[in-house]
Amino acid sequence: MSESNAGAPAPPPVVGLLAEFEAPEQLLDAARKVRDAGYTRWDAHTPYPLHGLEKAMGLRRTRLPWIVFAAGLAGLAGAFALQGYVHAVDYPLNMSGKPFLTLPEYLPVMFELTVLVSGITAFAGALALSRLPQYHHPFFAHPRFKRATSDRFFISLEVSDPRFERQAAEALLRAAGSASVEVVEDRGGTGKLPRWLVFATVLLAAVSLVPLMLIAQRRATPSDRPHPRLFTEMVFQPKYITQDATPFFADRRSSRPHVPGTIAQGELEADDALYRGKSGDQFVTRIPLPVTMALMRRGQERFDIYCATCHGYAGLGDGMTAKRADALQEGTWTPPTSLHTDPVRQQPVGQIFNTITYGIRKMPPYSPLIPVQDRWAIILYVRALERSQNARAEDVPPEVRPSLK
Amino acid sequence: MESEEVELEESAARPVGTGGRLLAVSVLIGVVALAGALAWGFCLGDGFRRFFHAYLLSFFFYLSLSLGALFFVLLHHLTRAGWSVVVRRVAEFLAANLLLLAFLALPIVFPVVFGNAALYPWAGAENIRGDELLERKAIYLNPGFFALRCAFYFAVFGLLARHYLKRSVAQDRSGDVEISRRLDGLSGFAMAGYALTLTFAAFDLLMSLDPHWFSTIFGVYVFAGSAAGGYALLIVALLLLQRRGRLGRTVTVEHYHDLGKLLFAFVFFWGYIAFSQFLLIWYANLPEETGWYRIRMSGAWAGVSLALLFGHFVLPFVGLLSRSAKRSRLILGFWAVWMLAAHWLDCYWLVFPQYTSRGVFVPQLTPDAGPAIPWPGLELLCLVGLGGLYVASAVSLARGCALVPVRDPRLAESLAFENR
Repeated sequence: MSESNAGAPAPPPVVGLLAEFEAPEQLLDAARKVRDAGYTRWDAHTPYPLHGLEKAMGLRRTRLPWIVFAAGLAGLAGAFALQGYVHAVDYPLNMSGKPFLTLPEYLPVMFELTVLVSGITAFAGALALSRLPQYHHPFFAHPRFKRATSDRFFISLEVSDPRFERQAAEALLRAAGSASVEVVEDRGGTGKLPRWLVFATVLLAAVSLVPLMLIAQRRATPSDRPHPRLFTEMVFQPKYITQDATPFFADRRSSRPHVPGTIAQGELEADDALYRGKSGDQFVTRIPLPVTMALMRRGQERFDIYCATCHGYAGLGDGMTAKRADALQEGTWTPPTSLHTDPVRQQPVGQIFNTITYGIRKMPPYSPLIPVQDRWAIILYVRALERSQNARAEDVPPEVRPSLK
Repeated sequence: MESEEVELEESAARPVGTGGRLLAVSVLIGVVALAGALAWGFCLGDGFRRFFHAYLLSFFFYLSLSLGALFFVLLHHLTRAGWSVVVRRVAEFLAANLLLLAFLALPIVFPVVFGNAALYPWAGAENIRGDELLERKAIYLNPGFFALRCAFYFAVFGLLARHYLKRSVAQDRSGDVEISRRLDGLSGFAMAGYALTLTFAAFDLLMSLDPHWFSTIFGVYVFAGSAAGGYALLIVALLLLQRRGRLGRTVTVEHYHDLGKLLFAFVFFWGYIAFSQFLLIWYANLPEETGWYRIRMSGAWAGVSLALLFGHFVLPFVGLLSRSAKRSRLILGFWAVWMLAAHWLDCYWLVFPQYTSRGVFVPQLTPDAGPAIPWPGLELLCLVGLGGLYVASAVSLARGCALVPVRDPRLAESLAFENR
């Protein structure tokens, strides 16, 4: 040890004692002695995990399981909250009628998030509770300590321990079978990260923002080129879609207009009565299809699909859409006429056909939606509905008549 | 690491006695209870329909326990485990009960062969005619092929269990290490064969109760329940043996800890598989698949399903989670008995809704309506009856054998086993 002269630097502060052992049993024995002597600021260092060491050191059971459990619960609840908010509050989508807030649907993600959050917390928590990562510790700098990672076992006793008294501690450790007990001094090393590491980390963090900024710029800038695609898959297909250009025709249109002076097969539609509900200038008064029960049932089905939303199932004009428009009171709605009023009942079937085809007042044209045969089926059913609201007792079939009041 | 030589205690090495009184009492209880159940079933006047369902339920309960024990034995050999040597012999006895169960399957198979549709609708020709699905399935679901398959299943199970027990007992005398090597080597094929056989046995015995329904994960579901039940039974059997003064120092808290860990694992695995089966059917919402669950989720069965969820999964999960619970014989024993009851409830839930609903789901106008579940008196009587025979068979198999494989090459490792 250097003599201290006036003006010479003070000797480095003592950090503690480092006792070296050659065999694991010696370490366990020594640990028990140190524990029983009442020391608290000390640690054992071994190249591999030593079973029973935590008992020999008298270590308390760790709090980590409770931290992980709490984190797991948070993951579980968080997953439920995430899915519940997205599916039931923010953007409900009708998935074949399943309820929006539904546990079976949420459970897989809840399970996964519980495991994920627990796992990450266990890892981070174990490091944090061990106060790691630690860049520097005076004991690590001691030359003999290197062997703690290969074939020697150490006990380090810190000077900050309230019971620390150098002679007594040294004697205890030697008595426990230590091969060598050395005083460890703090020879510098500040425990601060080296400047180059900090500089490199900050630079890396700054550079990593660049791709994000490039992406943000691209998203905010309009462009006349299609966006780049990494996996084109089925995006480009050898077929024409609407308004595609083609060099095949002189006018470069892929969608062709009708050739003048021709009619496509099946589109002649010569039968005026069937296709337009007219005979000359008059609306037809008879349905131009064979009137069968099958046609009636088809009409009922189609009416319920297309018409009942406004007109109601009985044709009274009380459908869902009509009621909603009424409730909204926007001043732009004309309610549908009840089909059972006299004017409607007296219309020839051809006129009803005309109404369905071209629409009237607020009702849009239904020709794109309803093929011609179905329109006549609907008209047949409408007539049946009208009859139902203006019937006499004799119209009721005999088997049902007894249930009339 | 310390290596102390642990001596094998005398009660472990001593061969089991004739067990005369226990044998006689259990046979008596078994026969009387079964006869009582048969009489009860006859008095119900439903063509033994309820009796057959009760019998199938109890039969399958014990079958699954022995299959779980067989799984334990095969797994032990497959992984060349050291810790479980001291408990393996008891598991071998329980697994070898599959021989008895092969005979106990006859009351199920015979009526089917004679066209009796009390249990399986497809066994009756009158049910198949006009039902397009059953007509197509008839090439598989017909009495002759069914009987052939059952014979095959029980041959595989019985011969496997018997082989492993016999070779293990032979090793007690000869101490031949080659026996262990051969059993370990066989266990790979045996495990694969066991898995396939169990899957198809589950399809035939349980899934075909409702021949219009199917679930490809059904075999795994039955396996999960069997394994959990098997481990629970093993724990209970060991605790009972220790109460009778045997294996006191051989099977230590360390072994119970590991058995507890495995029981916990299979509790969770059962929950996982049960939910997987449910979720896929719930999500797809296809009428051909949902009927089976709709029956079990409506009316009185809804309560049973909820009891199953909490009793078979949620509560045992929480109860067996902590390390100290698995290391306490009292707590572990409690949960093992609980799991046996929960496993019985699982079997009940699989079989019995078929009896009350005949596989037809009728949407109820009010949620509480629907067929009531009769109090399970007949079912419990069958359980006791078959249980008596089950115990008797285990006792008789154990006669003259040691309770521990005394000359297994890994015995010392097992005796000194310590959990870290």
